[in-house]
Amino acid sequence: MNLYEFCYGIIHWLVDLVNNLWYWLGDVLPWVFGDFFDAVGDFAASDSNIAFFTILTEVLIIVIIALINVLNFIWLDRKFMGRMFDFYGPYYVGYRIGGWLQNLADGIKLFVKEIITPAKADRVGFLLAPVIFISSSFLALATIPLGRDFGIATNESGAGVPAGVLVAFAMFAIAPFSILIAGWSSNNKYTLIGGMRSAAQMMSYEIPMLLTVASVLLLAGSFSFSGVVDAQHDLWFAIPLFLGFIVFMVCLMAEVEIQPFDLPEAEAELVEGWTTEYCGMRFGLFMMTSYLRGYIGGALATALFLGGWHGPELIPDPIWFLIKAYTVFVIVEWTRWSLPRVRVDQILDIGWKRLMPLAVLNLFIAVAFKTMGWF
Amino acid sequence: MTWELFVFLFLAASALVSALLVVSSREIVHSVIALATCFIAVACLFVMLSAEFVAIIQIFVYVGAVVVVILFGIMLTKREIMESERR
Repeated sequence: MNLYEFCYGIIHWLVDLVNNLWYWLGDVLPWVFGDFFDAVGDFAASDSNIAFFTILTEVLIIVIIALINVLNFIWLDRKFMGRMFDFYGPYYVGYRIGGWLQNLADGIKLFVKEIITPAKADRVGFLLAPVIFISSSFLALATIPLGRDFGIATNESGAGVPAGVLVAFAMFAIAPFSILIAGWSSNNKYTLIGGMRSAAQMMSYEIPMLLTVASVLLLAGSFSFSGVVDAQHDLWFAIPLFLGFIVFMVCLMAEVEIQPFDLPEAEAELVEGWTTEYCGMRFGLFMMTSYLRGYIGGALATALFLGGWHGPELIPDPIWFLIKAYTVFVIVEWTRWSLPRVRVDQILDIGWKRLMPLAVLNLFIAVAFKTMGWF
Repeated sequence: MTWELFVFLFLAASALVSALLVVSSREIVHSVIALATCFIAVACLFVMLSAEFVAIIQIFVYVGAVVVVILFGIMLTKREIMESERR
């Protein structure tokens, strides 16, 4: 049973339940709106309506799972940083579960804060930038299946979004645009510099990243996540394409702007980078979305290089996927809190002079494997 | 009127209106935002024509690269020049 059928069953059952009551009401009051009751009931039970609400339920389930993962990631990040820097991390709120509730407390605090728009800010861009950033990140999330039968993309025939990998990366590619808009429209030097740095960094690290993705797609011979994961049934792509895996992870860290590459929000130079002027829940959403991008990145690395949901049958598919994604995230955190920040003049050098040739070499290796007929 | 026609009309209207805004808005960054909206609407139209690959590449190349390059170009030029031209 896949996610679509599961949601379809729930929605069908609910509609039947409500419709029985509804038709009974129509029978009791036939002299007023008898036909009206019948028409509404038939519309609610029609195929297209049920399909619409099924997809809505699927979206809800996926988003709730992703947000719970984001909360876990923020907690894990802070605890892990505390462990590495020799302090406790979040501790008091939710004492018995290791301070896990601290994130919820922070979220509530951000919700009740006043939202200030700077007087000289460009209002259209200032309001639009978070919307574009957040919605594009959630669209990237929508394409990633947690298991063969567990994703928004799975419909009744089990097929996914056509070219799901490409959709995910295309949605990732929208972010620099919104960041530039956010940095410019805040009308502040720090945000403008942060936005410029961020966009330059993201654009230049996207190219080696896409080259490694191209090598994976070449070996798998498919654009969809299920095709890529099924091609890794015997051997994870991280082993033949080890070089590509390393390049992908470095580019991923630059894409989601975490520590060695967090120049756009370097606290010592730029106050808070391109989010300086945002406050209240707008900043909260930006921060949540950056962790969500971390989750998406971990999920992409899992699906493209670490065999996705394949594993011993003892544990169900989505749990395997999440275990791998969490492992990737912990490794990323480990490097994040161990390394110093890259200098601003080194960042484009690393992208164009080091990672780019390695990515091209990796693509050649993939082509060689393919022409040898080993995959 | 089917839903498909309705969605098509909405997308076509948003593409046309944003294309008009590109040439008519006074703030030049606003016209870049409108340009991105126009590209995204066109990508959605490609999806409706069941040409998903073209739509994805449209978003990749146009929204991901061309718009950002144009934004860089605008932001690296001096703003006073544009301000004085407007008056």
